[in-house]
Amino acid sequence: MSDVKESKSKGGKVIVCDGNEAAAWGACLSRPDMVAVYPITPQSSLVEYLAKFIAEGKMDAELMDVEGEHTVLSVLHGACLAGARTYSATSAQGLAFMFEPYFRTPGLRLPMVVSLVTRDAVSPTCVWGGQQDAMTVKEVGWIHMYCETQQEILDTIPIAYKVAEHPDVMLPVNVNHDGNYLSYGVARVELPEQELVDSFLGEKQVNWHACLDPERPMAVDPLTGGAGGAGPATFVRYRKGLCSGMQSALTVIEEAHADWGRRTGRFWSPLIEEYRMDDAEVALVTIGSMTGAAKDAVDEARLDGRKVGIVKIKTFRPFPIHRIAKALSRVKAVGVVDRAVNFGWNSGPVFQEVLAALYHLPVRIPAMSFIGGLAGADITVEHFARVVDRVNRLAAGEASSLPVWLNEND
Amino acid sequence: MGAAFDTIAFKGSLCDGCGDCMTACSSAKKGASRLSIVPGASEKVFELAICRQCGDPKCAMVCPSGALAKDGGSGVIGWDADKCIDCLLCTAGCAYGGIAVDPGISRVAKCDMCDGDPACVKSCPTGALEYRKAGSIYNEYGGKEDLFVPGLSGCLGCNSELIMRHTMRKIGRNSVLATPPGCIPGMGSVGYNGKTGTKVPVFHPLLTNTASMLAGIRRHYDRIGRKDIVVMALAGDGGTADCGFHAVSGAAERGDKILYICVDNEGYMNTGMQRSGTTPYGSWTSTTPVGEHMKGKTQDAKNLPMIMAAHKCRYVATASTGYMEDLYEKLDRAVEASFEGFAYLHIYSPCPTGWRVPSSKVIEACRMSVESNFVTLWEYTPKTGIRFTRSPDNALPVSAYVKMIGKYRHLSQDQLDHIQAKVDEQVALLKVMAADSPPPPAAHRPPAGSSTPAGGETSQTSLRREISRN
Repeated sequence: MSDVKESKSKGGKVIVCDGNEAAAWGACLSRPDMVAVYPITPQSSLVEYLAKFIAEGKMDAELMDVEGEHTVLSVLHGACLAGARTYSATSAQGLAFMFEPYFRTPGLRLPMVVSLVTRDAVSPTCVWGGQQDAMTVKEVGWIHMYCETQQEILDTIPIAYKVAEHPDVMLPVNVNHDGNYLSYGVARVELPEQELVDSFLGEKQVNWHACLDPERPMAVDPLTGGAGGAGPATFVRYRKGLCSGMQSALTVIEEAHADWGRRTGRFWSPLIEEYRMDDAEVALVTIGSMTGAAKDAVDEARLDGRKVGIVKIKTFRPFPIHRIAKALSRVKAVGVVDRAVNFGWNSGPVFQEVLAALYHLPVRIPAMSFIGGLAGADITVEHFARVVDRVNRLAAGEASSLPVWLNEND
Repeated sequence: MGAAFDTIAFKGSLCDGCGDCMTACSSAKKGASRLSIVPGASEKVFELAICRQCGDPKCAMVCPSGALAKDGGSGVIGWDADKCIDCLLCTAGCAYGGIAVDPGISRVAKCDMCDGDPACVKSCPTGALEYRKAGSIYNEYGGKEDLFVPGLSGCLGCNSELIMRHTMRKIGRNSVLATPPGCIPGMGSVGYNGKTGTKVPVFHPLLTNTASMLAGIRRHYDRIGRKDIVVMALAGDGGTADCGFHAVSGAAERGDKILYICVDNEGYMNTGMQRSGTTPYGSWTSTTPVGEHMKGKTQDAKNLPMIMAAHKCRYVATASTGYMEDLYEKLDRAVEASFEGFAYLHIYSPCPTGWRVPSSKVIEACRMSVESNFVTLWEYTPKTGIRFTRSPDNALPVSAYVKMIGKYRHLSQDQLDHIQAKVDEQVALLKVMAADSPPPPAAHRPPAGSSTPAGGETSQTSLRREISRN
């Protein structure tokens, strides 16, 4: 497959676009057979771009304009089982309405790609950015990758197909980008050549394992389980297989990112990105577009002589437990910044995940939860400066079991 | 496999003894009528004496000259005038009064089915006589492969299983079949623990997304040029009328090219007979029980096929297993339409377990539901509008149907009146919409049992008296 020589940059055309258009270009270049669309803020312009690309002949895909997100994913399930590569995007309430087929997708091992333009979920009624939607579905069995920039959104979508359709994975992927900041924020984006993406992806592999085709008749998803014996045992094997696919994805995601990097010159950190962690004494953990402001804050703190670093999570499912544990193993304190709430733990959801990863270390490293950026709020460099201060105090012994709500007094 | 034959069927409960059939036969055969309407066990009940075209005809067995023989093609027992020696043994051999002496010619005469277009049936104003072509269906499809496993675990007498087997036997292997949660997969069509129950690609959609999944399948097969696959559902009423309706409506609005068959057993029978949106008024279900404060369902059923017709689908039809010829014709048209747009077939399906009907009475319940207009048989295309495929005129009172069904046994007279009023309302509305429908078989006649208008006896009523006295 690697018939492209390594090069520093193999960029095609350069455009200026927002994150939703970048996602649409990423989908377009991946040549799905079918896209199903239904609008929801802040995703709407993304599906409008898809419809426009199809109308203008830039994209050769079936456009399914359907009556709701439940059907968005359902028509794509059908198409995928008939052999189609598929794409869609949604947010918040749309994801909630889509949940029933969404819940089913990993179990059917359908290698679909769906962008989540993350948004805070009703109620209180809110149409602005936040990651509550994506974080709420983290246990369903989809792979979740969070992007930091418009270019990364575009590049991650072909990478996501490569991962999803890998025979060791065969799982659906959500490529997530923050509503508002990335969906509407405009930046310079390089469009890879179509041939580059075609060669990177190769032949689609979507329904070799399960299909609805009169030439290969089979029952898809018979009842599995029962009171004991072979039924539940079969069910267990399906569940274990799904877990195994998830774990395989850790390697496949790294390989796919490396392959993409060799072809385009853009080497995105596949699982986590470590920023100024070499000599860091305290660390922030971030996810998504907030990381840019966090990096600025860390740079400023470094100018003051404070040794702060960042571990940015790109791949949240499967959770890169050992990478994160290793990256944080030498610091004295950790501050995890979430754009969502884990209500049951009175903290952020990423915080809980990081705590579980830290359990794998021989030493106990103190950690704190910071929650910001809800309902479209900005997490500014100043907010991160406060996080850095607080984590330094934590390293000095000033612990707290309560989360810090960054925008509470804005 | 032995051949089956078309036949003249008689429904005594619809016969008012007018004798038009005898007149028509006599006229067609230019002699005595070869069938007789005779008084039955009680007043206003009539029976029919006609040749049954028996499989092992006793008339032919006793005939010493070989003048009577069953035709292998049509199934008609023919009489050969040249061979007949007029011994009349056949008239004694037949237990059904199917062969008798025509006094005009002093020889025997018997029904020859008018070459498949019987004059008596055409003349019957009440629908008591029907020409049934189910034999042709058996001959054409009976030898085709059954596409389900033999051991489906449906209840005894399950009508849905009958529908499944007939439908897939007719449609064949080049199909993709969705069977959303309900009795149809519940009895094992999608199989258990890695094994299938069907020989075609089959799957459980969610209860809520059958039409959507099918739309995706069809669209992709069209895209890659495999346009001859029948992409279809055998779905229940719950997943169609209730929680899956958005998907059905959306696919219909988009004109997705699928065949959606709703098998309507008026509730969630698989989960224990709970109420659905198509459960009729007054019906007992496990969530509309009968007690001091509730007497069954308090709302009317939604009429799903009419709703689908309002979507201007390529094809919409209602059907019943009590009328197999009609069902098969509609299946043909629905399959054909499904290559052009959304095709919707609504099959009413009594559930012996959930409706409390003996399994031996299920088909009779199907027929009674239609004869009482509780179920109407019609089809719709955007060009033709609604067209009845069986006239709703001369219907039996709805009580004749309702009394067969255990889930209605608690009904008060008020509830019965409500059901009758709603049935009448529904038929009246359909008639308005079906302006283009062909006329009923004969002039409108009051239903059996209704009183004769005062003043003057008609020739028909006098004839009825005549017959009664004989």
